[in-house]
Amino acid sequence: MSALKLSDLSFNALGDPTRRKIFEKLQNGPLTVVHIAADMTVSRPAVSQHLKVLKEARLIQITRQGTRSVCEIDREGILAMRNYLDQFWDEALANFKKLAEADEQSKN
Amino acid sequence: METIKLTTIKKEVLVNASQETAFNAFTGKIDLWWPRTHHVGKCPMIELVLEQKQNGRWFSKHEDGSEVNVGYLLAWDPYQALVLAWQIDGNFQYVPELITEVKVNFIAESPTLTRVILEHHDLQKLMGGSKVIESMDQGWGMIINLYKQVADEA
Repeated sequence: MSALKLSDLSFNALGDPTRRKIFEKLQNGPLTVVHIAADMTVSRPAVSQHLKVLKEARLIQITRQGTRSVCEIDREGILAMRNYLDQFWDEALANFKKLAEADEQSKN
Repeated sequence: METIKLTTIKKEVLVNASQETAFNAFTGKIDLWWPRTHHVGKCPMIELVLEQKQNGRWFSKHEDGSEVNVGYLLAWDPYQALVLAWQIDGNFQYVPELITEVKVNFIAESPTLTRVILEHHDLQKLMGGSKVIESMDQGWGMIINLYKQVADEA
């Protein structure tokens, strides 16, 4: 799947409150599809559809364990986000350090 | 714990400046140190604004006159600390109901040396994922080199 196609798919993956709720639930650890559907107000097929969208956006992984499907957060996505912000803050703080030190110099 | 490491970024930087100078530079001059390429407007950014007060707005101004929210100040404690609400998700969209916290502490090591500790929490909430993955493929090599230059000069 091309990167562009993937971003189109994931663009609104967490824009939907039901999907956001499912995603939040999974932050405490893996859950079976049955478990996720149990306390949702939407129908089981609807839950499956939401899971499919999250999976395609690389937000979750779904694995078969015997007769059950288990969902969990896709670490790849979090790692990508983390690396991105890690680099961002490095760059930002390096700029900030230079600026603050120049300000200090100009005080004296 | 690995999960904590995975969803939190912690950075420390030692600044040769007083606590007050460091705090004022971070907040009052955010437009001057914020990497220019990082904004979520539809056209070039002319200014990044942080209102220096409790609940102060944090937004970018653009060439077409538009303003785009980034977040707001959750805590404002001059010159020791601040907490920013970062409300841009992984698809570079402002999401009002999304709050990730950026906590910044300014520790006076001496009258002219300040340790700045920045922690960005709950990264998993930002997970729009794919756009970020694409961006990483596109230009971080260049950014890292830029940072190295700045760091070497500092």
